[in-house]
Amino acid sequence: MRIHAFFLSLSRFMAVLGGLVLSLLILLTVASVTGRALNGLLHSDMAQGAFPGLSQGLLTMGIGPITGDFELVEAGIAFTIFAFLPLTQISGAHATVDIFTATLPRGINRFLVAFWEAVFALVMVVIAWRLYVGMLGKMQYNETTFLLQFPVWWAYAASFGAAVVAAVVTVYVALARWVELLSGCVLPPVDGGADH
Amino acid sequence: MSDFLIGLLSFPLLLLLIFLRMPIGLAMFVVGFVGLSWVTGGTVVALAKLKSETFSTFSSYSLSIVPLFLLMGQFATLGGMSQALFKAAESFLGHLKGGVAMAAVGACAGFGAICGSSLATAATMSQVALPELRRYGYSGGFSTATLAAGGTLGILIPPSVILVIYAILTEQNIAKLFLAAFVPGILAAIGYILTISIYVRLHPDAAGVRQPVPWPERLRALVDVWPVLLVFTAVVGGIYAGIFTPTEGAAVGAFGTGIIALINGGLRGRAWFECFYATAKSTAMIFFIVLGAGFYNGFLALTQVPQELSNWVVAQGFSAWTVLVIILLLYLVLGCLMDSLSMILLTIPIFFPIVSILDFGMSTEEFAIWFGIIVLVVVEVGLITPPVGMNLFVINSMDRETPIGQTYKAVMYFVASDILRVALMLVFPVITLGLLRLFY
Amino acid sequence: AILAGSAVAGMAQDVTLRMHYFLPQQAIVPKQGLKVWSDKIEAESDGRIKIQHFPAMQLGGTPPQLADQVIDGVADIVWTLPGYTPGRFPSTEVFELPFIASGPEATSKAFWDFAEANVMDTEFQGMKMLALWVHGPGMIHSKDPIASIEDLNGVKLRAPSRVTNQYFSEVGATPIGMPVPAVPEALSKGVIDATVLPWEVTTSLKISELVENHTEFPGETLYVATLMLAMNQGVYDGLPEDLKAVIDNNSGADLSATLGAVMAEGDEVGRQVAVDAGNTIIELTPEQIAPWKEAGFAVEASWIEEMDGKGLDGQAMVDEARSLIDAYSGE
Ligand code: NA
Ligand code: NA
Repeated sequence: MRIHAFFLSLSRFMAVLGGLVLSLLILLTVASVTGRALNGLLHSDMAQGAFPGLSQGLLTMGIGPITGDFELVEAGIAFTIFAFLPLTQISGAHATVDIFTATLPRGINRFLVAFWEAVFALVMVVIAWRLYVGMLGKMQYNETTFLLQFPVWWAYAASFGAAVVAAVVTVYVALARWVELLSGCVLPPVDGGADH
Repeated sequence: MSDFLIGLLSFPLLLLLIFLRMPIGLAMFVVGFVGLSWVTGGTVVALAKLKSETFSTFSSYSLSIVPLFLLMGQFATLGGMSQALFKAAESFLGHLKGGVAMAAVGACAGFGAICGSSLATAATMSQVALPELRRYGYSGGFSTATLAAGGTLGILIPPSVILVIYAILTEQNIAKLFLAAFVPGILAAIGYILTISIYVRLHPDAAGVRQPVPWPERLRALVDVWPVLLVFTAVVGGIYAGIFTPTEGAAVGAFGTGIIALINGGLRGRAWFECFYATAKSTAMIFFIVLGAGFYNGFLALTQVPQELSNWVVAQGFSAWTVLVIILLLYLVLGCLMDSLSMILLTIPIFFPIVSILDFGMSTEEFAIWFGIIVLVVVEVGLITPPVGMNLFVINSMDRETPIGQTYKAVMYFVASDILRVALMLVFPVITLGLLRLFY
Repeated sequence: AILAGSAVAGMAQDVTLRMHYFLPQQAIVPKQGLKVWSDKIEAESDGRIKIQHFPAMQLGGTPPQLADQVIDGVADIVWTLPGYTPGRFPSTEVFELPFIASGPEATSKAFWDFAEANVMDTEFQGMKMLALWVHGPGMIHSKDPIASIEDLNGVKLRAPSRVTNQYFSEVGATPIGMPVPAVPEALSKGVIDATVLPWEVTTSLKISELVENHTEFPGETLYVATLMLAMNQGVYDGLPEDLKAVIDNNSGADLSATLGAVMAEGDEVGRQVAVDAGNTIIELTPEQIAPWKEAGFAVEASWIEEMDGKGLDGQAMVDEARSLIDAYSGE
C-alpha cells in the first residue's frame, strides 16, 4: 500500500508540475497577445497623434508581442503532456471499450487488464528510450528554434525526464496488476474517470 | 501478403483488440508499429519514426488548444458559472411544463459556449441540475437522459475539442469550423427543448410543477451570468475579430475563467490541484490516442489503403449521396460502441479521402466543413446511444438510484431528435454553411 | 526501399522508392517538378524504379522531421527546406542572406556547386543529394504600402527563416513566427500586417486577396529560401550500377536549375494575379533599395561572425557563394 501511495503521489506531483507549466504558458500567451494589441494601438495614428512622446517611449521600452511565444508554447506543452501521463496511467484513465468484455467472467477481465498494462509498460519504455535517442540527434545536429534559437534538445530533455517517470509509473502499474492477478490480493482500485 | 492486404486486414484486427479492452490509443499505436515493421521488413523504420514523433505530436501548437479548453472548463465549474447558468435558465423556463429539464438544456448550451468537451459539460451540469430536477419531481430516467443529451451541446456549440482534431486531420480552418457548428448547435438545443415538451405530454408523470419566479429575481439571475458572457465574447469574439488565433483564444479563456474562479473563491486549497488532475487525465488520454492514430495512419498511408479504397469507390460509380449515407450509418453503429474522439481519429484519414473526391455540388472547402460538422453531430449521437454512450455512463455514475435501463428508454427520444436534425442538415447544407457564407 | 521481383533469374531487381514531402500533390513543385522528375526516372529505368509519392506528410511527422526521415530510411526521398531545422545546415544559410541571390536558375546552380565543394560529406552526411535549389526572389506583401525601411517600423511581419527574421528585426519590423499555412488566416485577422514570400507561393495562399500592396526590388533579390531533394544514402548505394546511373543522369546541377526554374515560372502566375486584382506593386528604384542593402550587410556581418564562432569560415563562404552566383548569372 505504501508503494502505491508513493507512486500515486509521484504521479500527482508530475500532474501539478505539468499544470504549473501549462499555467505559465497561459500567462505567457496572454502577455504576448496583450503586448501585440498594445503595440498596434501605440502605432496607430490616433496614439501617435495624441501622445507621440508617450507612445514612442512605450514602444522603445519594447511593448509588443513576446518574441518566440509559439516556440515556448511548443516546448512547454510537450513537457506538460509527458508530465500528465503518469497520473493517466496510474488512474487507468485511458479510453477503453469494455462493452464486450463486460459479459466475460471477472477473471478474464482481470487478465486482459493486466496483459494490456504489460504491453503499455513496454510501449512507454520504448517511447522514453526513443525520445532519448531523438534528443541525442538534436544535440548532435545543433538544431535550434527559429526566433529564440535555444537548442531543441533542451525541450527534448525536459520531456524525456517526464517520460521516464511515466515509464516507471506504467511499469509499476503493470507489475501491480500482475501481482494482483497471480496472488489474488487487491491493490487500491483504479479511480478512472477521464473526460473529454 | 501484399502491403495493401496487410493494411486492409489491420482494421478488423484493430477493432478486435479494442473490443478486447485494449486501450484505444495503445491499440492504434501497437498495430501501427507492428504493421509498419512488417511492411518495411524490420523495426528500423518504426523505431526511427518514434525518435521524434512522440515529441512532435505532444509539442503541436494547434493541439495545445486541447488542454487549454479542458482547463478552462475546470475553472468555469469552480468559478460557479454552471450554477449561475442553470439558475438563470431555470428562473425563465422552470415554470413551463418540463421547464426544469428545458432549463438544464439551456444551461448546457450556455456552458457549451465556454467548455470544449461533452463529458465535462454533462458531468458539470449534472452536479447542478440533477438535485433540482429530482426536487421538482422529474423522473430519474428522464432527468439523466436530458442531461446526457444536453451534454452533447458541450461539443456542438463552439469551442469544441473534436472540431480542433478534425481541423488538424483535414487541414481545415478551426475558426471556420467553429462558426459552422454554431447554428447546428443552437438547433440541437431547440430540438432537445421540443423533445422535452413532447415527452412530458406523453409521460405526464415524468415531470412535476414549479412556481414561476418573479421578474426582479429573474433579472438578478440573468445578471449573474455575465462572467460566462464575458468569457464567451472574449474567446469566440476575439477569434473572429482577429485579435488572436484559436490557441491564443483558448489561453485567454483559461486565463479569464481562472481569474473569475479565483475571485469567486473557487480555487481555494486543493481545488487548484484537482483542476490539474482532471485536466491531466483527459489531456494525456486524448494525446495518447492522437499519437497512436498518427502511427496507425502513417502505416495505412504506406500500404496505400486510403488511396486504393477511394479509387475503388470512384470506380464503382456509386452516387455521392449513397456513399455519404453509408459512412454516416457506419458512424452511428460504431458510435454505439466507441467514444467520439477515437472514432474521428481512426476513421477520418480513411473516409475523408473517399468523400472529398465525390461531387456534392459545393467547393472543396465548403464540403470539408459541412462533412466535418455532420460527422461531429453523428458521433455525438453516439455519446447517447445505448448500450455504450459515454454521456449515459457519466450521468449514471452520478445518479446511482436510477437504473441505466430507464435512462436508455428516455434517451431514445433525444436520439430521434438528433437523427431528424442530421437529416435536415443533409438536405439543407445552408444550415451549416449559412454563417460561413455570410462572414467569409 | 522495397525490393521485389528477384525470382526471375537474369532479371535485375525492381525498386520502389517512397518520396515524402509536405505540400499537396497539386502544388507547383510536386506537380511540375517532382512528378515530372519521377516519371522520367521510371521511364529511363524501363519501369524498374517506381516512385511512390506521399504528399502532405502522409507518412506522418512534421516538415522539420523530413531530414531525419530520409537519413533514417522512414522515406527514401524527401523534399524539404534546410531552414526548417535551424542550426543543422548552417552553410546553406549563406544563400539566404539578404541581397546575395540572383535569378533562381543561376543561384540554384551556384548552390549545387557550393554544396559539392563544401558540405556533401559534412552537413549533408547520410543523404545522397539529388537537387539543391532556391525559389524566386522573395518580396514584401503588406496591407499598408511599404516603400522605405521607415515604413516597416512596428509592422508585424512573418518571415520564413532564421536569417530573414534577423534582417527584419534589424530594420525595425516586429517579426512573428508561424508556419506558412497559418499566414492567410493571420493576415486576414490582423495578427500580422505583412509577410515576405516569393510570388509563386502567393497564388495558393491567396495573398493578393488579403493585402493590397507588394514591394518588389527590381534587379535585386531581397532574400530566397533554400530547398533540397535528398535520397537515403544507403538506398542509393544499394542500387545496381545501371539504376544508379539513371539517378545520376537525372540529378545534380541541372535538376537544381530546373526546379529553380519551375518555381520562377510560378512567380509570373502569382504576380499576374496581383496585377489582375488591381493591387499596387511598388517597384523600388536603386536609390530606394540602397538603405535596404545597407541593413543587409549588417546581418551578413553578424552571420559571418556567428559562423566563425562555429568554426566555419563565414567570410570565405560568402565570397565563394557570391562569385559562383556572379559566374552563373553572367552566362
Ligand atoms: Na463547446
Ligand atoms: Na453510443
